[in-house]
Amino acid sequence: MQPLLYQASDLLPEPDLADAAWASGLDTRRRRRRSVLAGVVIALLIAVIAAIGAGVRGSNNAELVPPTTPPSNPPGYLPPSGQIAGIDFWVAPPPGSERFLDRIETPLGDLLRLPDTVVALKENPLERTAAVVLEEQGAAYVPLILGADSSWAVADVQLRATRSGSPLSSGTVSPDGRLAAFPQPGQVVVIDVTTAEIRRFNLPAQDLRSVAWLMDSNRVLVSGPGVAYRVLVGAGGYGEPTVTAVNGSRDPDAITAPYRLDTGAVMRYLSTGGWMLDSSLDLPVRAWVGQTFSTSSTAARLFIANNLPQVPTRASQPQVLAAIDTLRALPSRLLVLGEPQPSTAGRADPADVREPGCCAVLGWYDDNTPLFEVRGWVLAWDLRTGRVHRVTELAVNGVALGPGIRS
Amino acid sequence: MHDTVDPDFASYVDARQGRWLRTAYLVYGELERAEEQLLHAFSRLSLRWNKVDDPDVFVQRLLYQPALARWSRVRAFPDEDDPVKLALAELTPAQRAVFVLLHLEELTEFEVADLLGISHSTVHGHALAALTRFRTALGAGDRL
Repeated sequence: MQPLLYQASDLLPEPDLADAAWASGLDTRRRRRRSVLAGVVIALLIAVIAAIGAGVRGSNNAELVPPTTPPSNPPGYLPPSGQIAGIDFWVAPPPGSERFLDRIETPLGDLLRLPDTVVALKENPLERTAAVVLEEQGAAYVPLILGADSSWAVADVQLRATRSGSPLSSGTVSPDGRLAAFPQPGQVVVIDVTTAEIRRFNLPAQDLRSVAWLMDSNRVLVSGPGVAYRVLVGAGGYGEPTVTAVNGSRDPDAITAPYRLDTGAVMRYLSTGGWMLDSSLDLPVRAWVGQTFSTSSTAARLFIANNLPQVPTRASQPQVLAAIDTLRALPSRLLVLGEPQPSTAGRADPADVREPGCCAVLGWYDDNTPLFEVRGWVLAWDLRTGRVHRVTELAVNGVALGPGIRS
Repeated sequence: MHDTVDPDFASYVDARQGRWLRTAYLVYGELERAEEQLLHAFSRLSLRWNKVDDPDVFVQRLLYQPALARWSRVRAFPDEDDPVKLALAELTPAQRAVFVLLHLEELTEFEVADLLGISHSTVHGHALAALTRFRTALGAGDRL
């Protein structure tokens, strides 16, 4: 049998497998080492991840222990009095205590009153406006402008009353402090305080009561009940008309940019002439008062509230200054305007009661300090500390503030 | 393990590769497959060189056991006209492996059972059946 099998397998080539087998073995060994190394690395990674996971979930040493020291607050920080609709609120000092508050030094001085002497704006052009007040001259109003250097100047223009009375709007001064706009029947008057130039822009509607500047200081929103226009004051884009109708509101003061706090919502201005919902706002608002003033991160407006169980009032309706964070990065805050302290007889002095409509936001001192008017005073609220400061006492009927207030 | 081939390993392979290739060729019925299996067996041996007690058994187990795997069966000796190869092709892979190891390598049935990882009785049965079919295929009757 064996010879047959030898014969069948004869003539086979002589193999030479030693080198090839050794090389193949070497290759196999290297592959195995790499696999083992990769396995060890993967096992280590799994072990580390498992250890971290066990550490986070563990009950002994891995509990996330809050720091023993509270987060640092700025000096003078006041804790909030509570929450309204989930937002921290502070209570402002009561009426009658304003003169005892710490004062912020501004060009407005301790008492803002009409100046005894004033030069013409043409002779004393200003760089930036700190405040604008109106002096009544018969049936007309003359704008007096206070510069950042505390000097007064009078513009060579006489303004007529609007249907709501004084043509001074809270948003009169442009963000750069160079321009001042006044609503007039059927037109808007714009004064350049740096050159004393006065320009008039005719508008289709007669009943105009409020002005509010866009952030570029080149366009101003002029509004009356149910109507609003965007007026291009300087050079605009190609083909942009001087006057563009935008969506109006029943409340002329609601027409502001870039934000407006309105019932149930924070609205954002669109360059197309409308407002879109930016976020919802759930506050116990009975009515909004005055204009919305915005910084890059916060919008502020004052509202008359429904009865607040958190801050019971007896002599007046509660009024609240809302500083709403528009970036949704920092907490929003509320400031409830307090009531006068009852005397020993148990009744508040009626002269001190802040009636609804007495108060409104006037602007911002800086990014963290809204300015607002109460009866006879301009106050500032430091959002970082919650403290209210005195800015000036008012001996004028109304005031519009500009960036020159922070000289 | 050195990068260059171990002289003892080379001598070991040189001394056996011709004979085991011949046997594997008859077991698998295909030269290419036989060379592939033999190279694989020697490669595995190189990884454990100087650690294996009986290198011959180690290599032959790796060389012949795959012939019994059901998933690797192919027709043996295709396109061949040699009567002995045609007769081997008539056998099943197990019968052919047992037959070749018994009669070419002249191993005992116990050694074959150890190499192929099957029982002695199974080897005996394959051996009888393979011999009968081989003879019949060659038309030799009882002459072989």
